[in-house]
Amino acid sequence: MKRLKRYWSAVTQIAREHSEYRVQIGQLAWVDIIKTYRGSALGWMWAVIKPSVTIFVFWFAFSVGLRQGDPIQGYPFFLWLIAGLVPWFYMSEMITQGSRSLNRYDYLVTKIKFPVSTIPTFVSLSHFYVHLALVGFVIFLFVLFGFPLDIYYLQLPFYLLMNLFFFTAWALFASPLSAVSKDFANVVSSFVTAVFWMSGILWDVNRIEDPLLRHILMFNPVTFMATGYRNVFVYKQWFWEDRFALFAFGTMLVFMLLLALYTYQKLRRDIADVL
Amino acid sequence: MTKSNQIAIEFKKVSKRYKLFRSDKHRFLSIFWKKVPYTEVYANQNLSFKIKRGESVAIMGKNGSGKSTMLKMIAGVVFPSSGEVVVNGRVSALLELTAGFDFEFSGRENVHLRGQIWGLDPAEVGELEQKVVEFADIGDYIDQPMRTYSSGMKARVGFAISAHISPEILVVDEALSVGDKVFREKCNDKIKEIMETDGVTVIFVTHSAGAAEEICERGIVLQKGRLVFDGLVNDAVDFYEGPRKPRTSRDEVLITEV
Repeated sequence: MKRLKRYWSAVTQIAREHSEYRVQIGQLAWVDIIKTYRGSALGWMWAVIKPSVTIFVFWFAFSVGLRQGDPIQGYPFFLWLIAGLVPWFYMSEMITQGSRSLNRYDYLVTKIKFPVSTIPTFVSLSHFYVHLALVGFVIFLFVLFGFPLDIYYLQLPFYLLMNLFFFTAWALFASPLSAVSKDFANVVSSFVTAVFWMSGILWDVNRIEDPLLRHILMFNPVTFMATGYRNVFVYKQWFWEDRFALFAFGTMLVFMLLLALYTYQKLRRDIADVL
Repeated sequence: MTKSNQIAIEFKKVSKRYKLFRSDKHRFLSIFWKKVPYTEVYANQNLSFKIKRGESVAIMGKNGSGKSTMLKMIAGVVFPSSGEVVVNGRVSALLELTAGFDFEFSGRENVHLRGQIWGLDPAEVGELEQKVVEFADIGDYIDQPMRTYSSGMKARVGFAISAHISPEILVVDEALSVGDKVFREKCNDKIKEIMETDGVTVIFVTHSAGAAEEICERGIVLQKGRLVFDGLVNDAVDFYEGPRKPRTSRDEVLITEV
């Protein structure tokens, strides 16, 4: 009962801080983008160059090297590839940078009175803005290749918001832990590549034959997001059609929110002492 | 009820414990497992006092007496382990002037950043920027990244920002390092100006009896994290320094050079 009360007060505190500082969150998200791309000669170009190189490398390896680049459901392999890779760029940035957000803004924790729970949020938003620009570019490419917008694009906001929501919760969970322990930050970084290959980004989870394995893999939120963006762009499927995938993601989202609440209420008052 | 009766700062049985773990690994494990051993150090123990609006209070105590922790709690960046800290009004802490900046950004951008963090509207931010640029007086460096600043320049910008947010509660450390003599005098004048503003509460951290008595009416002495004296500043100085010899000269220096 006492524990429940503590969780509830954490929820209300986070909600209050977010509503009181909503203007600052929006402004600081832009500040974070500027901070990221400032100081290099090419500046903003990196937001485009980095993902382009990754997309090219995978396209080259699969189409030219492995000769696996057959069209998928009438869509060039290249388009299928970017429909899954673009959400991954946001997710991978959030897994690493999101979990370091409190370290990145340690001066907001230890030197200035500022609501700590909003720091992961504005860092997440800053990556999300870049993500939105890339998604816009993906839409442009699909149209350019002769695949006009259709009704399925209506569910794009759903997937975008779920992506933002889940990985903001992840950042709220992971950033206090990274603040307390450098090991945690390093463990997270070293697992990013593993997460990438274990998730259905370069392969389609629905083509796994063993039903048990397929269902287990669907609990991976990264798989849900990559498949979801492809539902919009390539597979032309509604998000409620695969009930199990939706259920699995919902479970993981609730689980992640609880984890985030746990570390937040546990560490909120200690973070400034250790950073 | 008149304004002068309002409480600016109240500490209610405030204690601050720091948990010391054998290593970061232990600290990490303690999040998930209660039985990880640690030792506790008290920085503040059972502090209770009230400071009214417009009062000026000298805080005295040796190094390690818990002054810094107490001030950080007033500034709102550190939380008590038990008890409650109530602060009414905007706090400006002239403690670590070079801290709280994003060194990737220029001085001017940091003024904007700070203005946004405090929730000022664009007009107020513009006004703040103008005042800070003028007061800090570091020339073209104001538009260079702060990582290229000397410590003196950082302190100038830091002081200028903290001094120009029209604080309701001003926390000043006597051992404030702000650079050369001319700028130090400029800072002293500014601090005096803020202190004379009606209703501003002043917390003055000091080791020097003269400066404390000059500025403050009330004195609080901390010892090993506990409040051991709270009363008139002259009595507090006597308590802190022991019975004194007749005074020869008055210490006029408000901020010392470090």
